[in-house]
Amino acid sequence: MTALMGLLAPLQFINDHVLRLGRAIGIVAIGLMVVCILIQVFMRYVMNNALPWPDEAARFLMLWMTGLMAPSAYRRGGFVAIDMIERFLPPRVVAGLALFLLALSLMVLIVGLQLSLKHVSSGWLFSSSSLWIPLDWIGAKSFKLKLAWMYMSLTVGIVLLIAVSAELILRQLITMLGGGERLTPLAVYEGAD
Amino acid sequence: MLVWFLPLFLLFLMVGLPVFFGMLAAPGILLYLNGQERDIGLLYRNVYNGMDSFPLMAIPFFMLAGELMNRGGITLRLVEFAQAMMGHFRGGLAHVSVLSSMLFAGLSGSAVADTSALGSMLIPAMEKQGYTRKFAAAITAASSVIGPIIPPSGIMIIYAYVMGESVAALFLAGIVPGIMVGLGLMVMVKVMADKYDFPVATRKYTWPERGTASLKAFFPLMTPVIILGGILAGVFTPTEAAAVAVAYATVIGLFVLGTLKLRDLPDVLSRAAMTSAVVLLLVGAAMAFKTVVSLSHTPEILAEFILGLSQNPLILLFLINLLLFIVGMFLDAGPAIIILGPILGPIFVSLGVDPVHFAIIMSVNLTVGLATPPMGLVLFVASSVSGEKVEAIARAILPFLAVEVVVIFLITYIPAISMTIPRLTGFVN
Repeated sequence: MTALMGLLAPLQFINDHVLRLGRAIGIVAIGLMVVCILIQVFMRYVMNNALPWPDEAARFLMLWMTGLMAPSAYRRGGFVAIDMIERFLPPRVVAGLALFLLALSLMVLIVGLQLSLKHVSSGWLFSSSSLWIPLDWIGAKSFKLKLAWMYMSLTVGIVLLIAVSAELILRQLITMLGGGERLTPLAVYEGAD
Repeated sequence: MLVWFLPLFLLFLMVGLPVFFGMLAAPGILLYLNGQERDIGLLYRNVYNGMDSFPLMAIPFFMLAGELMNRGGITLRLVEFAQAMMGHFRGGLAHVSVLSSMLFAGLSGSAVADTSALGSMLIPAMEKQGYTRKFAAAITAASSVIGPIIPPSGIMIIYAYVMGESVAALFLAGIVPGIMVGLGLMVMVKVMADKYDFPVATRKYTWPERGTASLKAFFPLMTPVIILGGILAGVFTPTEAAAVAVAYATVIGLFVLGTLKLRDLPDVLSRAAMTSAVVLLLVGAAMAFKTVVSLSHTPEILAEFILGLSQNPLILLFLINLLLFIVGMFLDAGPAIIILGPILGPIFVSLGVDPVHFAIIMSVNLTVGLATPPMGLVLFVASSVSGEKVEAIARAILPFLAVEVVVIFLITYIPAISMTIPRLTGFVN
């Protein structure tokens, strides 16, 4: 138990802080998505001059918003699941089943991470069609953004989901060993349907 | 062999694995066992490509617009408007609850937002007037399902994207069914009000008073006009219309009504972003799942089985409604549409059912499922808002569910109900 608590404490601390930072960036991202699309609406319908970059920039932001926000939702129990079976099973079986499902989810994420890294590697070969870093503003040479920066959003999301999964597994093990009351309660998800 | 991913997926779902992981684990395991490791990589790429979509951006935007309007106290103005129009009838507050849901549906595509926003206001008010708490919670939950039927609608955006249909066509096709659900509930309220002698909510408002209430509700009520008007006139795409709705809700809440504070924005943005992230991941997983559905020839195998039951499309539509209703009892509308759309859609389209018509049958049926026991999400929300037990609400809601089932069958067997507006506006041939 002490060893498990010792493992959980730093992981929980890291998740608390990293996910908070992720949520802050996610909030900015969704706000900027709206701004990008409104700029495009204005340019297209008022100035009659559609810009090449707002649509792709908004998608870029949406992907990063998803990657950074989803782990917080998972940690708060926001991933949709049917949790009816637990009503019909003995508590010990329910606890074992919960641990199995968390482990299975972790396996999916680990496989996903391996595939994701390959995906990101391939993204260094291709450039975005419309997003570039305007370094010419400071006298240097501008360059187009590599697609890997977009692909990375899901990779970062998976890494954070793995960290959350590991934390949830440790919490479940501690609960099963009778240390549930020693755990700090996690925030609860309050999403819409 | 590969087709066994479906029973494995259902098993994962039944034991409580989150849908997102189930949609990837079951196909992944079967692809591995089938020696198709290369296709597992395809699964991952389809998750990413599924999320990397411009039309899909309408989901976070509509969620954000709904959150902004809810936080900005726009709900109160809608309720006051509904009360001025219908509060003097017997069972007035119950009618007000239904009408408010219909109006709220034009601003937000979420049944849960509807239940929590309107329920927290109307359930205590109904109790004060002598309605039982379970009745108040039941009518709030039953009418909230109109939210995702009348546009804008989150689940219709998801369906349109996953199945390659037009969002505008689905939005338009949802208008009449949504109104029918509302009117059907009002008829049931009238019957119950006469039978149980429900109270009237208010004295009859004079027309100048109604005018004042309408003016107060003017800006919120313009939202659906801007969204649908913009899409129909070809000014905006649905995604752009959703972004405009966000800007409109912000300006109205912050500057016109003054009911929204700048300090509210981070929380509003955070809630919308987190909810959207969950939905977007699910849609990504759905696109991967759809690939395996095609690779495994599941629709063909299921079609053979279903056509073995009957060749008559009318009977098959009845059976499919039964299946959807049962699924809706256990699973929320969004994930259910994501899972069943790619499997069932092609079968019924090949039987001659219009894709838009089938989308509406699925959407309305699964949306009603949000209010059916034992797992209806809005029942739990209504229970938490009212403090009434879920079991009591589940019993009190039965007459209203009966009305909604009748509407489902009318929509199913009279395609003109959903198809007329999209056809007249040229969005469906």
